[in-house]
Amino acid sequence: MKYAITDKCVGCHACLLVCPSNAVFADPDNPKQFMIHPRRCTGCEGQHAAPQCASICPVEEAIVNEYAIAVNPLGSLTGIEVREHVNTSID
Amino acid sequence: MELHTDERLSATTSSCPSSQTDGASVSHLLPKDVQQQIARHPCYSKQAHQYARMHLPVAPACNIQCNYCNRKYDCSNESRPGVVSHLVDPHGALKQFRAIKKRAPNLTVVGIAGPGDALANPKATFSALKLIRDEDPSAQLCISTNGLMLADYADALAAHGVNHLTITINTIRPEIAAQIYPWIYYDHQRLRGLEAAERLIRNQLAGLEAAAKLGMLVKVNTVLIPGINDADIAELSAAVKARGALLHNIMPLISAAEHGTYFGVTGQRGPTEAELASAREASGQFMPQMTHCQQCRADAVGTLGGGCGTEADNASKADNSFKVAVATNGEPLIKTHFGHAQQFEIYRLDPQAGEFQFLERRQVAQYCNGESACPDEEADKQAMFKAIEDCRMVLCSRIGIAPWRTLEQMGITPNVDHAFAPIDVALAAIANSQLAATTHSQKESSDEVCHY
Ligand code: SF4
Ligand code: SF4
Ligand code: SF4
Repeated sequence: MKYAITDKCVGCHACLLVCPSNAVFADPDNPKQFMIHPRRCTGCEGQHAAPQCASICPVEEAIVNEYAIAVNPLGSLTGIEVREHVNTSID
Repeated sequence: MELHTDERLSATTSSCPSSQTDGASVSHLLPKDVQQQIARHPCYSKQAHQYARMHLPVAPACNIQCNYCNRKYDCSNESRPGVVSHLVDPHGALKQFRAIKKRAPNLTVVGIAGPGDALANPKATFSALKLIRDEDPSAQLCISTNGLMLADYADALAAHGVNHLTITINTIRPEIAAQIYPWIYYDHQRLRGLEAAERLIRNQLAGLEAAAKLGMLVKVNTVLIPGINDADIAELSAAVKARGALLHNIMPLISAAEHGTYFGVTGQRGPTEAELASAREASGQFMPQMTHCQQCRADAVGTLGGGCGTEADNASKADNSFKVAVATNGEPLIKTHFGHAQQFEIYRLDPQAGEFQFLERRQVAQYCNGESACPDEEADKQAMFKAIEDCRMVLCSRIGIAPWRTLEQMGITPNVDHAFAPIDVALAAIANSQLAATTHSQKESSDEVCHY
């Protein structure tokens, strides 16, 4: 297991489209969140200088490495700590 | 047709339907064949409201980050933030297209507007375009994009028959762009700061030029951000015009804190009406402006607004039968939840009299009893939609997101703006805005934005 997706994921599909190993899939129990197949993920080694999923993911703390450390820690993408937001859609 | 707000240019445009002067006022700006092509595109032409358009939500991913976007939701400058598009795969999109086309022969435009960036999802985008093209070669295809990958895909877009294109370009100055885009994903890396900004601008301009050379009609969208890109609008407009853009749509930044965008959270304000007007004027020296668009979600379906009532008799049958359904269980106020309605009152707009007239009352089975979760009584729901299928709008106090979408897909606009208002007051307001839109006497809402 190299990289994994946390529950911060918003299911935007970006990592799914750029993963060279087809390791990303939608969580069958929650299609709004994605998962990384632990055996399929190669960490992009030998293919790209940086893990592709983490290079495109727009959400801080959504992707962690094998030590469970966020590849894009809080503040690293936006420069601010973004709070959780209430979905305001009609009931 | 009128495509701009610039006062000097639109001074001759008085009444709505295709008056000669409208055409004349814009003809020195756009060649005739282009005018004809956009005359049937509801997002480009104010007089094309009788034509329906459909956005296929097949493109979820995005490859850049804009500071006015929260990626939990759709592209926030083209959507009502907080309301997320319903994603479909290309075959689902084709199915939707077939269903709509059957009931709406006036469907002329099919676009891909996200919910992310069309060209960050090339497989889904191109396969949807191909499926639609094969199904209906007369459909006008369009996409909207942030432009990062446009130069790479311009040829493919032209080959797929895409003739309209919208690129969101907010500035041509890297120092400014760096304040709008924190990063981009390009060539397998995340680029940041000036490097990202320079790359994005270079690609956007190259893509614009390539698309225009291929004969596509290119509109540029710009999100106006006071204190950031507002001083350079004229320069931007001149630059995109020089590369072949036809229209400029300057949209106000939407930055409510609750949307959770960077600009929202950091307190960046949106422009005032005056700032918006002056940016449009600055740009209007170079290019026709657009202002009449609605905020369109990436899965929007239907006509934009209500069309031209006074022309109803000789032009459009659809306008002739502008009917509104009101969910009501007998009360004089609009206080019934769509799902709780046992009856709908149907009203029809009489353009001559300028008011709605009561037509009939239709009973429906109630599918949601409010106590617990709605039972999934598919047949009852269908009966409900069926009861109002000939209406263009339905008024109710509240409505769930699933029926909202179903209605939109049927070309019916759910309207909860008049919740708890007296029915007659609400209808009068709607009649007014319909008829006002007809004569252009009403000032357009500057909040209306569109990516097409
Ligand atoms: S690290 Fe590379 S291989 Fe692993 S999931 Fe991410 S993109 Fe795929
Ligand atoms: S890119 Fe990030 S937020 Fe988007 S689906 Fe992948 S992990 Fe989730
Ligand atoms: S291009 Fe659209 S989806 Fe992508 S970050 Fe910008 S606003 Fe969001």
